[in-house]
Amino acid sequence: MTAISRRDTLAWMAAAAASPYLAGQAQGAPNAAIAGASPWRDMVLTPLKARGYGKDAKLTEPSVPWPLPLRPPRRGQWRPAAGLILPADGRSPSADSLPIDAFIDEWISAPYPQQREDRVTVLSGLAWLDAESRRRAGKDFTQVDDATRRAIFDAIAWKDRIAPDYAKPAQFFARLRALMLGGFYSLPEGMADIGYLGNTPIAGDYPGPTDEALAHLNLGLARIGIKPVSAG
Amino acid sequence: MPQQKPVSPTVSKAASGAAAFEPDVIVVGSGAGGGMAAYVLTLAGIKTLVLEAGRAYDPQAETPMLNWNHDAPLRGNSTPDKHFGYYDATVNGGWEVPGEPYTCAPGSTFKWWRSRMVGGRTNHWGRHVPRFGPYDFKPRSRDGLGMDWPISYADLAPYYDRTELLVGVSGTNEGLENHPDSSPGILHPPARPRIPELAIKAGATALGIPRVPACQAGVFQPIAHPDAPRQACYYASPCGRGCSIGAAFQSTTSLLPMAMATGKLRLVSDAMVARVILDKSGKARGVEYFDKAGRSHLATARAVVLAASACDTARILLNSRDGGLANSSGQLGRNLMDTTGTNVTAHIPALEGRPRYNEDGMSVAHLYIPWWLYKEQAAGKLDFPRGYHYELGGRFGMPGAALPLSGREDGYGASLKDDARRYYGAQISLTVRGEMIPNADSYCELDPAVKDKFGLPVLRFHWRWSQHEIRQIAHGIKTARAIAERLGGTVLTPEMPPEDAIAVGGWIIHELGTARMGAKASDSVTDDFGRTWDVDNLVITDGSVFPAAAHKNPTLTLMALAWRSMDRLADRLRKGEV
Repeated sequence: MTAISRRDTLAWMAAAAASPYLAGQAQGAPNAAIAGASPWRDMVLTPLKARGYGKDAKLTEPSVPWPLPLRPPRRGQWRPAAGLILPADGRSPSADSLPIDAFIDEWISAPYPQQREDRVTVLSGLAWLDAESRRRAGKDFTQVDDATRRAIFDAIAWKDRIAPDYAKPAQFFARLRALMLGGFYSLPEGMADIGYLGNTPIAGDYPGPTDEALAHLNLGLARIGIKPVSAG
Repeated sequence: MPQQKPVSPTVSKAASGAAAFEPDVIVVGSGAGGGMAAYVLTLAGIKTLVLEAGRAYDPQAETPMLNWNHDAPLRGNSTPDKHFGYYDATVNGGWEVPGEPYTCAPGSTFKWWRSRMVGGRTNHWGRHVPRFGPYDFKPRSRDGLGMDWPISYADLAPYYDRTELLVGVSGTNEGLENHPDSSPGILHPPARPRIPELAIKAGATALGIPRVPACQAGVFQPIAHPDAPRQACYYASPCGRGCSIGAAFQSTTSLLPMAMATGKLRLVSDAMVARVILDKSGKARGVEYFDKAGRSHLATARAVVLAASACDTARILLNSRDGGLANSSGQLGRNLMDTTGTNVTAHIPALEGRPRYNEDGMSVAHLYIPWWLYKEQAAGKLDFPRGYHYELGGRFGMPGAALPLSGREDGYGASLKDDARRYYGAQISLTVRGEMIPNADSYCELDPAVKDKFGLPVLRFHWRWSQHEIRQIAHGIKTARAIAERLGGTVLTPEMPPEDAIAVGGWIIHELGTARMGAKASDSVTDDFGRTWDVDNLVITDGSVFPAAAHKNPTLTLMALAWRSMDRLADRLRKGEV
């Protein structure tokens, strides 16, 4: 099973071939000077036939029953994106060193309405990243250098700096970013980074906030003219 | 006079799984009302058969206690298969049950949450358990609207104490108007409030709004019952998953095991009760039910107790005879209520980047804001007659597929990670839960055409909020926004008219009122012990008997009432009156 039927891919490619940026590519002349973004196209995708996990799944042994159809090359396309969106720093590794691609594949392959919608957004967006990379540098997104990728992201990632031409790709980016944030911070490495300290049994009374946490709140309250609170 | 439909020829008592056991009482349903009925009856020595429409369920083996979101499909996110997320303790249910549809009349929207498992919805419920107060039992006497209960708070007070002792409830006695205290020695100590709750407390206090510890149904000191041992809450694992250690209260870890230990209980699962069967004298002879394979069975007993949930009990009675059984008042299926609901979420800069600690605590809020404007209401200063409360939200929750960052995440790269660290845990929510007054336009009836997989007519819902509820929600939103803004916060919930902000009927999963109790047979379905006026040995112990709802979550009252009604039934059985 493939995520995109060959027929749809060909149809999309045919449509894309008619666009100015591919004309540029065909001449081997990457041309960032061409005004405006690559056009956005919502992909027409083959409906998924997989079933969900149903209403009585075994909760203590969770598993994903639907196939993950994206082949490694396609998954590979968002690895560089993941690395740029959530790079390594002193507190956690880069998203492209964690199985975020597998999570997004699982998400957009799921046979549920929200995920079906995201599937169109994400796959159309990945195709757009390739098209925009070709427009700017004559190569697919996985082949261009990070400077080109950053230039593309700079056009679509910052809420108050999005040109009208980039409105649709920016919506895609916001969705991809949200999925990457969720996928990343719900993994053990991400939870350690963000400081989630729960899901561990406590013997005896719930201890409540630390003194430091309470002091932080009371400082914040003092700034807005509200009396401090005690832990009790 | 409408006639009862004939028992289908395939009905065979011999084929029934319950054949070898001759019960005194049949209880339909095993959730809060049915579990309590089984508990009270069996401890009184009465042989009880519980018929549960759902499958057998073992909370010890099936509860995903400490599982992580990252182990679950889609990080545990909600889907149409599991509306409250992968780990929610709802089996074969949710807003839709396969093969068991319901319909809504044109112009009406109603959502009906069901669960097809032993223990019913007690396996996943919210477990917020305020008592009703004296005003809540006499609303019509106070403001001329709706209907009074045939009992007063004093009638139920001893049963509240007993039920709280059995259930295990944390909280404090605050002496607030219309929020009765528990008797001494009953309440478990409340959990210390968390930072977002303390922030809301500070904002509310600045506006003169009180707040108190919430009352949660769960134990915080172990209970060493030989048949239903319950460990103390360990402040992890959301209660909605169910609780394998029995800390959070559910029928399957306390009521049913204790009833089973008496040797007087027989529980048959996958038994969908279709209707109550009468004998020639007009008394209940038993019930007809379908097993999983769709085979019909007859179970008989001296009395029948319906605790199938407000809407399923109404459906069973409506399906039991043309025009509905026990419906001489015409009130069966009428007066359907839910709790009103809406939510205000806000981003609070003072909570940004706050120091981390384990903020799981209890699943319910550690503080809540009870209704505080009784005097203003009585003085006519408000444009709505009944109150609401706020349940408080906000914490460092276990991250899942959607990380709540108040929409403040931006860009990409190193600064995005900083955004996540800064905004995680900086959101609060004030959830409004208010009282609905029953109205003539909100009810359920049999759909004239649609049938379920057993061939039984399904329910069709009619729904309308009145201006009482709309104005109440408007007040709740306005006040919640004021609290958030006093805290310097930005409200994230879009502003919209209260007609749009109010949750659709059924959404809060507090269906009540479809077979209300009353002082007179002419305007109610049952007497104050849940006994139907028309059928002497037919008793109801679920939310259908509530004549008025209060803004307070109904399950504690439902269980206390079930206990009282079953005490009466047990007494009547002993005296040979039934």
